[in-house]
This record gives sequence, C-alpha cells and structure tokens, in this order.
Amino acid sequence: MSLVDLMSMAKPNLKSRAKVFSKLKGRDLVNCFQCIKCTSGCTALKLLELKPHEVEKLANLGFVDELVASDILWTCVTCLKCIQRCPQKASPYHVIMALRNLAVEREVKIPEAFMKAVSQVLETGMAEAYQKIAKGTETFDRESLKLPRIGSPREGFQALFLKALEEK
Amino acid sequence: MAACVVKIGVYVCHCGLNIAGTVDVAKVAEYAETLSNVVLAKHYTYMCSDPGQRMIQEDIKKHKLNRIVIATCSPRMHEETFRKAAEEAGLNPYLVEIVNLREHVSWPHGGEPEKATEKAKALVRMGVARARLLELLKKVKVAVEKKVLVVGGGIAGIQASLDMANAGLSVYLVEKQPSIGGRMAQLDKTFPTLDCSACILTPKMVDVGRHPNITLLTNSEVADVKGFVGNYEVTVLKKARYVDESKCVGCELCVKVCPVKVPDKFNENFSQTRAVSIQFPQAVPKVASIDPAYCLRLKLGKKEVCGKCLQVCEAKAIDFEQKPEEIKLKVGGILIAVGSGVFDASKMAEYGYGRFPDVISNIEFERISDASGPTGGKIVSPRTGKHPKSIAFIQCVGSRDKRFHEYCCRVGCMISLKQAILARGKLGEDVNIYVCYNDLRSFGKDCEEFYRRARDLDINFVAGIPSDIRRLADGTLYFDVYERGTNRLLEVHADIVVLANGLVPNIDLDSIGTMFHAGRSADGFLLEAHPKLRPLESSTAGVFLAGTCQGPKDIPDTVAQASGAAAKVVDLLSAGEIELEPLKAVVDEEFCSGCDVCRSLCPFSAMEIVPKGEGKTAKVIEAMCQGCGLCAAACPSGAVKIQQFTDRQLLAQVQVSCKEPEGGS
Repeated sequence: MSLVDLMSMAKPNLKSRAKVFSKLKGRDLVNCFQCIKCTSGCTALKLLELKPHEVEKLANLGFVDELVASDILWTCVTCLKCIQRCPQKASPYHVIMALRNLAVEREVKIPEAFMKAVSQVLETGMAEAYQKIAKGTETFDRESLKLPRIGSPREGFQALFLKALEEK
Repeated sequence: MAACVVKIGVYVCHCGLNIAGTVDVAKVAEYAETLSNVVLAKHYTYMCSDPGQRMIQEDIKKHKLNRIVIATCSPRMHEETFRKAAEEAGLNPYLVEIVNLREHVSWPHGGEPEKATEKAKALVRMGVARARLLELLKKVKVAVEKKVLVVGGGIAGIQASLDMANAGLSVYLVEKQPSIGGRMAQLDKTFPTLDCSACILTPKMVDVGRHPNITLLTNSEVADVKGFVGNYEVTVLKKARYVDESKCVGCELCVKVCPVKVPDKFNENFSQTRAVSIQFPQAVPKVASIDPAYCLRLKLGKKEVCGKCLQVCEAKAIDFEQKPEEIKLKVGGILIAVGSGVFDASKMAEYGYGRFPDVISNIEFERISDASGPTGGKIVSPRTGKHPKSIAFIQCVGSRDKRFHEYCCRVGCMISLKQAILARGKLGEDVNIYVCYNDLRSFGKDCEEFYRRARDLDINFVAGIPSDIRRLADGTLYFDVYERGTNRLLEVHADIVVLANGLVPNIDLDSIGTMFHAGRSADGFLLEAHPKLRPLESSTAGVFLAGTCQGPKDIPDTVAQASGAAAKVVDLLSAGEIELEPLKAVVDEEFCSGCDVCRSLCPFSAMEIVPKGEGKTAKVIEAMCQGCGLCAAACPSGAVKIQQFTDRQLLAQVQVSCKEPEGGS
C-alpha cells in the first residue's frame, strides 16, 4: 500500500471504498475539490463535530474504516444543505448514509438514539411517537389534548420490519 | 515662430472625479488665465471625450490659438489623442503640451486637496512656460524592408512565420537546433484535449519547410543586429552541420553506421543517439547533422579517422570541410520567439532530483510517455524499468518559490493533470496516483472540466506540498505530506515522483535581450511594451514578442500571441514606409567640434562623425536615433539638442517651478 495516515497509522481500505462507491453508483457524489463550503454551512458542525469535506476526502483516499468507526458519522442531522450548495454536485450526505449502512453491516456500536428510533418504529410503527407534548413550562398528554392513544402497529408489521432490516 | 504672437489655450480635465475629486479644477483654470500668453483657460469633465476634443478644436479656430496645454492624465494615455485633435484643427501636433494632473497630482495626493491644487497650479505654470517655446516639428517618413526575421522555430515562431508568409512578407526563420519544432515536439499529448502533440505540430512544420516566402535557417543563431525599425541589418551565423542540406535525403544510413554513441538530448538523455543524427523522426528539415564535439574525425581533426558515414552516404551529402557561414539579412521587423527553459530541479536539494533516478521532471515524463520516446511510450521507473504501482506528482517546483522563481508557471498544474490522466490510461485502475498541490490552477478554456475528469479517474489530490523526498533501503521513494483539507500527516510511497518544474527564462535571453534592445521584466522574461495594451511588442520599435520568451504560457496562448504579433508586423510593414516620431537629436554644427563624445555614448549607433570644412562634426542618422538624450546631456558645448526636449524648454519649466517670475517671460 502506498499510503499511510501517520497520525492514526491507518491504511486505506480500497475494498470497502469500492463498496461505498458502488452504493453511491459511481464517483459523481464524491467528486469533491475541497472548497469546504459544505463544512462552512454544516448544521452539525456548529452543534457537534461533523466536517463533511473530511468525509468526502477521507472516502476518496480510502480511509473508510476510520470513518465507519467514527462517532461523527452519526451526527449528521440530514438537513441536506451540503447537497444543495455543493458547487460540484457532490454529496457528503449520501456518502455518510452509505457509510452508516456499512457501519450497520459491520455491527459497529450504533448510538443509543438511533437504536431508540428503531425500537420505536418496531413498537409503534412510527419514527416519532410523542406521548407527551411540551409547551412552555407545561406538558400535555395526548388524552388532555383529546388525541387518540398511540397503539401497536398492524399485525405482521414487526416481522416484516425485522426481515427488511436483516436483508439490508 | 518668434515673430508670431504666442496664444495659449489651457484645458483642465476633471477626469470624472479622478482629478476633480481632489484638485479644485475651476481654481486651476482661473489661475491659468492669469499667466502671460494664455488667451483662455477652461475646465471640463472629460477632455478626451468627443465634445471635449471638439471644444479645443473650435477654440483653436476661433481664437487662433497656437499652443495648447492640456492638464489631464498621463501623456502615455492621451497625448496621441490630443495631438491628433490639434492636427485636425490645423495646428501642428507638436505644439500640444500635456500636464499630468492625475498620476502626478490627484492620485498620489488624494488626502490633501489644497496642497494638490497648489501643485496642479505649479505644474500648469510649468507646462505653459514650456509651451511658449515649443517648436514646429514634422514626423519623419522612412521606407521599410518588407522582410521579417523570426528568431526561434518553436510553435510560436512557426505560427508567426506562416501567418506573415501567407500575408506576403518574406520571412527568415532562424532556429538554433538542427530542426524546428521546439519544446512542443518533445511533448506526448497536449492538455486539455489530449491531442497528440506531434500530430498537430508536424503539419505546420512541413508547411514552414515548403513555404515559398519562408527561408529556413536551422543550426543558426543571430550574431548581430544593427539598424532601426523598418531597416534592420542582421547577421546570422549558420553553424557547420557537416552535411549538405541540399543533398541529404534523410535516409539515416549514416546514423546506422556511426559508431559514436551520444546522449540524446531530445529524449532528455534517457536514450542514446549517434554523433551523426537526425534530431527526431519528424524533423524539418529532415537532414542529418554531425555533432563536432563527438564525431571522431572532427574531434581529432584527422582525415584518416573513421569516415563510415562518408562511405555509406549515397547522396554524397557528408561534407567534413563545411565551414560556418555568416549570412547578412536586411529586414524591416523582428519577431523574437525563442521560448523558455525548464526549471532545473537539482537546485532544490530536498526533492533529490539528480540523486534519485525515480524523481523525474515533467518534461522527462513526456519523453517516457511518448510512443516515439525511449521506452516506446511505456511508463516505467527509470531505475527498475518496471511499471510503477504508485506515481506522485509534486506541484510548484521552482515556481511560486521566492528562493527560485516567484511567479506561477501557469502550466504546471495542467501538465500534471494531463500526465496523471495519461498514467491512469496506460497503467490501469490499480495504480495509485497522487497529485500534491498548493493551489490547483485550471483556469484555461476546458481546463476545469479536465480537472474534474482527473478526479473522476480516481486521481488523489492531496492539498499540501511535501517538505522532502526520501529513499528506502530497497530504492523506493516516499514522502510525508500534511493534507490540509483533513488535517492529517500522510505518508506516500511512490515508484516514480514527477516534479512539476516550471518554465523559466531561456538562458539565451541575456544575449538576446541586449542584442535586440528588448527589456526584461523582474521575472527575467522579455518585457512587453505595455502589459495590457501592447502585449505583443518589446519597447524597441519594430521588435515583437511571441510565446514563452515573454512569460510562461501554454500552447493555445502561445499560438494566439504568435498570430497577434505576426499581425502587428504585417501592420507595420505592409505600407512600405513608416512614420517616426520627430523626437530626435539634432546637431548645431556651428558649435560642434567633432569631439566624438556623443558618438561613443550613443547606444543606438545613431551618431557619426563626418568631415566638415577643415574640421569635423557630428551628424545624426535620423532614422536610427531613438531620442534617448544621452548625447545632448553629454555634449560639452551644448551643440546637440533633442527636439521637443530642448534645454531652453526644460530650463524654462525649471525656472517657474517654484514661483511665477514677475511679468511672465
């Protein structure tokens, strides 16, 4: 191998890179020239630590293992600003999604919030199932607002959902 | 004009707010009216505009003005405009005096309007003092030779020669090498189209070789230049090639039998040629030449040595008795197209060029990538002869580097992109290709698209320049580079490192610049007369510039500049005569003792000493004089003066510079 990251001693993983690129259906979404506009406007950079231009560059250089293991992958809030504004029509968002899928495949530890979302879908069939709603300092439950209770999903949904997850 | 009353009109230009924003133009005009001989003084927004010029012309007629002072921008901008306007109104154009209120007053003194206005008044006062003494002058007409000398047979010289020859001028194309073609002949493909360089160049070379209006002088150098615009006398030294050009048929039988192996410079010394050789397969003229530094017979100077080429040549073209030839030419214009050199990276110890065989220059890469090159177009490591698994390109070598050349070489990025793309095509997907760059400059037409294409081809662009290149025990190369996009220190291993060496001033420019009186800019390249408005000419009249001798540029820009410069030469010479400015030295023979000081100083050989009665006197060769004024300043008896810049005129200006003398002059 002709490349080493001397800070982490990481080496490129070109096989995994090929997998990511095939998920992205080519190189258009990673054809980045590092103007760093995406990071300048990244919602998650301001809240957390995601630098979308680094995701693009590291994916190109083949440092996929590092990305897959990294927490920053999960900080993307999917606001899609990076896609809208990229002058080269690259997409850090799509790269991140492809990497998340790879992470799931590798059974990397996925942040709790994501797991919670999955179990919520499993239990309720909804990604966001609010039992209580806050307004100012007061909280209201669904009953007081005369909303129906959130019940269980239709029969057979859970089996289908789990099957779909496994297939992925 | 002594008998005639001097009537001066003074015109103060606002130049929008360029002048009027700082200088109180109304006050300046009011003041000008108080000066003696001034009949009227006006101010106006744009004197150079049509209404502005018309105002001056009407005043000349109505008030019988015979001197005009215009306080405006630099005479470099509009002196010609106002002279023409005056001429149209029937006034001799040399009776117009320009006072520079913009570059000399409003721009440098923007914050001090009152002082600026005072300075403007003083300059106008001085301009009026000089205007009083201006003399009638006439332009000088001289006949011109409708012939051109083109120095350098690269793509610039080739293109310009063809254009001028097609326009009907006789062209002498002088090339130092045995063949024309220049740098472009050495290239494999050209960016951003990936055209084969030879395929697009060689048809033009052939055209040059057979054009009836072009005389091709290869293996030749310009030895001396005399004369002036329209009438240059040039001496060309045609070196002996020891082969009769008119007999040689280019069969290369001699090359096959020659026993002396010589490093092949055309192939950047990657291969060997013979002491008798043809520079490259498509050479024009396709004529062999013998290198006297290597040929056994010529080196030893013995008639009985070797002579194998002589025996084998059926055309009887080999001629060991050939002598260098001096050729005298008369030409009207000169076009310099001598090209540039390539930076010698061995000056940069950190990259190991010259020590590590696998560190190569970009021009060397061209040769190993070229199908007619030493490897037959196979990209291989010079050390192992094997295909590389990893290639790295390093940008800005010797360029954008204050230790060597401060300028951007303008082609290094695109050359590396092209070479990386060629390497990907020839070596396949599995080879790792890195381009370490500072700023990737892909500014030309279709060049940004070319850059994107390179990224599409999985070429890794690393934002950062390595500090040095090192070698492992097994001979392979590696370097560390800090990638600033991701803030990581990367270690890159490469079997070949290609240095993007920039274009540098040709070593011949020292002698060429002096010989043709062509100035040099701070970067060492030949200096154009004006960076925006006169980019195709040197500051010497009749000497034009094309291609990389004027500054680094790519092939499209070179060809465009060559065609442009050719058009300028045609424009200059097509009428058969030209008008020269009368700003020339004149000798008052009554005061001249023929002391020879002026002649010995004149840089343009425009002074001669001729007998006069019992003594002698200096005489100006009008057409050669450039009006530089050295002679006038040096003349011990004040016998020489420069028209339009006489001592009387200048001293009158100096006298009123600090205060207006009482009662005027």
